[in-house]
Amino acid sequence: MWARTYFTAIAVAATALVNGAVAFDDAQYPNLAGQWSRLPTPGVGGQPSFDPSKPWGRGQQAPLTPEYQAKFEASLADQAAGGHGGQQGWSCRTSGMPLMMTLFEPMEVIVLPATTYIRIDMYNTQRRIFTDDRKWPAEIEPAYIGYSIGQWRDQDGDGKYDVLEVETRGFKGPRTLDASGLQLHDDNQSVIKERFYLDKSNPNVLHNEMTVIDNALTRPWTVIKNYRRNSDPQPVWVEWVCAEGQSHVRIGTENYYLSAEGHLMPARKGQKAPDLRYFK
Amino acid sequence: MRSASLKQNILLRTPIVACATLFALCATIASAQAFDEAKYPDWKGQWRRFESGGVKYDASKPRLAQEAPLKPEYQAIFEANLKDQALGGQGIDPTYTCLSPGMPRIMNMYDPMEIVITPGTTHILTQHIHDGRRIYTDGRNWRTDLDPTFAGYSIGKWVDTDGDGRYDVLEVETRNLKGPRTYDGTGLPFHKDSATVIKERIYRDKSDPKILYDDITTIDNALTRPWTVTKKYRLVDNPQPVWIEAICAEGNNHVEIAGEGYMISADGLLMPTKKGQKMPDLRYFK
Repeated sequence: MWARTYFTAIAVAATALVNGAVAFDDAQYPNLAGQWSRLPTPGVGGQPSFDPSKPWGRGQQAPLTPEYQAKFEASLADQAAGGHGGQQGWSCRTSGMPLMMTLFEPMEVIVLPATTYIRIDMYNTQRRIFTDDRKWPAEIEPAYIGYSIGQWRDQDGDGKYDVLEVETRGFKGPRTLDASGLQLHDDNQSVIKERFYLDKSNPNVLHNEMTVIDNALTRPWTVIKNYRRNSDPQPVWVEWVCAEGQSHVRIGTENYYLSAEGHLMPARKGQKAPDLRYFK
Repeated sequence: MRSASLKQNILLRTPIVACATLFALCATIASAQAFDEAKYPDWKGQWRRFESGGVKYDASKPRLAQEAPLKPEYQAIFEANLKDQALGGQGIDPTYTCLSPGMPRIMNMYDPMEIVITPGTTHILTQHIHDGRRIYTDGRNWRTDLDPTFAGYSIGKWVDTDGDGRYDVLEVETRNLKGPRTYDGTGLPFHKDSATVIKERIYRDKSDPKILYDDITTIDNALTRPWTVTKKYRLVDNPQPVWIEAICAEGNNHVEIAGEGYMISADGLLMPTKKGQKMPDLRYFK
């Protein structure tokens, strides 16, 4: 009888355990919930930069090859004359990787066992980091955000993951590292490695150690991006629709502006009117 | 006797200890797991619009015979829009400049959808044009301090309709919308006041788990009565589906100048979209 009781008790408890079985133990993962924004580096002004510890543009001291240094200088000269240079954001195309991780708009990180999602509402960017142990596909459809595979690490051995390591490949372009037009190579062979981890002393600060390997660079370029968590448990997610109020128009190879009343106007001194040969 | 009593005691204690140990383990697991995935339906994967061909708001009816219960004023707006489209214009469909389709048109699913369920929020991820959604299921109340958006503000509630201990229906209400929005590319209009309220019931087909439905009821001042349609989605049979990056602005050859729609020709020149369209005003060029 006692034996029966024993086994019955075990069976009941085990059944309860199985019925309540949960596929996803979120306690295994770091708490990345909430709204993350770019954490500016004190004393570094100007536009948000790829290396947040240095000013944008020339201040970045990017390790560019001579060819891409020349392209960068041409971009700066064009921007000084009223053009966009190598910068692409005006066209409402997505920033792509790695520029998107500069966080011009806030980010949400959604951690599930097979995928970590990064949602940034600027350009409706939905990045998937696959953590399901998949291999690199034989063919990757090139994308501005690339194709990301990640792996969770328990670095301090406490039984809980604390670092997400990510590698991203499969790009298309053009892509830049910041708004000054620091351009990635036209061959789009970039490989980007990231390590995401919460700050050990402040769980409301997230670090992203990012290394860009690209043929426009003389060496891999590593920077650390820092993000801060909004303390509001119900943060506001602003709907960011690039086309709304868009005042840039591209006709052929020329950029123009739209005036406040909607008329076409030159973007630079002496710019000619567009060719209207198709109008009678 | 003592020996028998001790044996009984040990046996008595053993199941108690065993139970205590297992329940302690259960309790530890329960406390460690904030997200009990087993309580929610498995809607993982890539969902596509069920119907092939042109996108229609009510897929069960022809594209230009949707029988939308429009008020006469908005029926007239719709007819004028169709005339403009027949002449080569865009009518009142705002998405040709890559403006977000907004709700409920997002759910037409021009590009595939992923539904990411977390306890506090269900994310509807689609790539088409700025059309990701957050459906809050954390028991929050409506807010009155937010700017209106094309996607609106959505609050949802999980319901276990068959009482099996697992949610099977997500009920959603969406408010705080802004315009311009249309139901589809034909230009079926919403009221200019944008006071639309949209109610949805999202659930899986009981006999075919590869089919998902979204019953959408739209309450809008352009309508004579609430309008309900059922959207149907099919699950892509691939555990690692390809997610194509859809960038509306890429290769978009539509341009709007001073409220007029034009096109960019293959050789990169501005061209009219309709017969007799005037060239744009070039007053700012010398």
